[in-house]
Amino acid sequence: MLQKLSLFSLVLLVLLAPSAATAKLEVVATTPDLAAIARDVGGPDAHVLALALASQDPHFVDAKPHLALALSKANLLLLTGAGLEVGWLPTLLTGSRNPDIQTGGAGYLDCSSLVPLLEVPSTAVDRSHGDIHPQGNPHYSYDPRRVDALAVGIGKRMAELDPAHKSGYFLRTKTLLEGLRTARARWEARLGQARGQKVIAYHNSLPYLADWLGLEVVEHVEPKPGIPPNPSHIAHVLERARADKVRAIVQQAYYPSGTSKLIADKAGAMFVQIPGYPDFAQGQSYTAYMDDLVTKLAKALVVR
Amino acid sequence: MSHFRLAASSIAAPWALFVAGTAHAQAAPSAPANDLDDIKAALAADAKSKPATAAPAETPPATTSSGGIQSLNPDLSLIADFAAAAFSDEQHLQTGAHDPTRNGFNLQALELSLGAAVDPYFRFDSHISFELEGVDVEEAYGTTLGLPFRLQARLGQFLNRFGRINATHPHVWSFSDQPFALGRVFGAEGNKGLGGELSWLTPLPWYVELVGSTMMAGGAETSRSFLGGEERSVHGPKDLLLLAAAKQFFPLSDNWSLAWGMSGAFGPNPSGPGNRSAVYGSDVYLKYRPITTESALVASLTSEWFYRRRQVPGDIVQDVSSYSELFVRFAQRWATAARYEYGSAPFGVSGANIADALDPEWTAARQRVALALTHYPSEFSRFRLQVSRDMPGWRDGIWAGFLTAELAIGAHGAHGF
Repeated sequence: MLQKLSLFSLVLLVLLAPSAATAKLEVVATTPDLAAIARDVGGPDAHVLALALASQDPHFVDAKPHLALALSKANLLLLTGAGLEVGWLPTLLTGSRNPDIQTGGAGYLDCSSLVPLLEVPSTAVDRSHGDIHPQGNPHYSYDPRRVDALAVGIGKRMAELDPAHKSGYFLRTKTLLEGLRTARARWEARLGQARGQKVIAYHNSLPYLADWLGLEVVEHVEPKPGIPPNPSHIAHVLERARADKVRAIVQQAYYPSGTSKLIADKAGAMFVQIPGYPDFAQGQSYTAYMDDLVTKLAKALVVR
Repeated sequence: MSHFRLAASSIAAPWALFVAGTAHAQAAPSAPANDLDDIKAALAADAKSKPATAAPAETPPATTSSGGIQSLNPDLSLIADFAAAAFSDEQHLQTGAHDPTRNGFNLQALELSLGAAVDPYFRFDSHISFELEGVDVEEAYGTTLGLPFRLQARLGQFLNRFGRINATHPHVWSFSDQPFALGRVFGAEGNKGLGGELSWLTPLPWYVELVGSTMMAGGAETSRSFLGGEERSVHGPKDLLLLAAAKQFFPLSDNWSLAWGMSGAFGPNPSGPGNRSAVYGSDVYLKYRPITTESALVASLTSEWFYRRRQVPGDIVQDVSSYSELFVRFAQRWATAARYEYGSAPFGVSGANIADALDPEWTAARQRVALALTHYPSEFSRFRLQVSRDMPGWRDGIWAGFLTAELAIGAHGAHGF
């Protein structure tokens, strides 16, 4: 009888031990920037996926049912917050049936709570201002100074959810912060001459980049956030671009480029298309993404 | 002491700043607008006086603030649909409760939606439709958030998840009227009622959701193939409407998606003691939306079929109804759509056409085609021009033209797929 029990225990150990040892924290990020940071922090202890593609406008992601399936297995949900995903995430979140990642759950991390936000309205706003974000501008990951706080917040939450691997999360967070500090010095040195340059953005998604690099966004191709451009507005933007000697039209690759190229051409400015997010699916890190972004900006904004 | 605290020396700056920044943001009152202008002017002057290579601040400026609007009020939105309509024959055959129905101006729907988490275990959603003649509780239901085994329950008044279009509201439709199949099979409002639903997200590698629900089987505008307008006491499950559905989703690629559903609804009908009705359906939704490159294009093909059989004294009345629609959003602000609908004549067990007491005039096949052109000034407003030709086999055809406007205010709603 004892022999049978021992054999049974051994079988149980063999069956259960590998799964316990290899169990990873399942992390789902709504956008690839958060996913890239989470992958650096999570390392081999976490399995990370992103709901939106790098090439996708994060405001308009289809709530495809298989994304709810991914959320149903998640231990941790990272969202950009500030209303960025309001048009698609709530449906998926309810459909996931996962209590751990519902609002207020231990596995729900609204990353906008980790960083100081810009453009939080100080007066009443409504949709006559366009599709604005009353909680503040959500495009904060273009500022690597804020990414420090994101990495720390994500690392802390991973450690809380998976205390067995706390030291790993800590060490990788520390490594990421050190790497970011070095990279940031490199990026700032490279773009130092760009401070004070005037640019035009397509959507109001560059205030954090401008805040970090000292750029001045003088106009937007969209007349108001989320409102498609019209001829009279574009004429106004062109006039402004000429008057202010705007150096570049900067926009994410997921926005239409024809109008912006026209403005750049007529105003003698450069058209700079930046990737909206790190190509997480292809393994690109946040640092590699910013290297690429800084290179593109430097070509347009730094006088040689 | 945690590892995060132990390493304070190496990451102290961002960490401390993070903590301090958050604390500051929570405590700092928002600056008046004129102060902000002064600050901006000062910062601009500083920037000009600095050498071009001056380094940015080590940390984000403290004049920013974090946080959001905190409110325990539910998300609230109001969506209005108005229509100007013209019919070639005022004795038309529109079947939807929200369809334009008369020459001239129509209020199609004024829908007030509220939703919020009740507690950690439930959320509650309601959609109340105001009409010129009264108010209709379209939906009011609670949804569980944390049942085990990936189960989810809904309780209250809700649209049954039969097929694809039945559970949706007019503001997500590609046309300004509902397919006549829905009105013929379930009623003007679509199949809805008071009841409960249990659904299960299966652990299969692809998305498979199984749905079962039960609700009251009466309602002239919601369950006309079942008890319709007849009031009947409930003595057991046989007196209720039962639904079973399977919903699958296949992400064919980043740009292509396919959803396929099968549904069945079963319940009593009032034609005789023990007589029952059954509706079987299948729906396919194929969508192409290029998201790997910049594009405004969205194209989708939706097809839905309904097969209905009702026991009546001496026979079984059967019919088939379907619709297929192609939707193409070809620019950021513009979309077009085409729809074809078919409804067979009712037929009996022998296959021969028979009379249907629910629609006595429906003695031959009916077809309808519609074209729509939609303009979206923004995500929250929409104008649509629609022309349709109804071709019932038992009478002359009917032309219909609609010009509709939709305006939405309030919380940004989350869209399903």
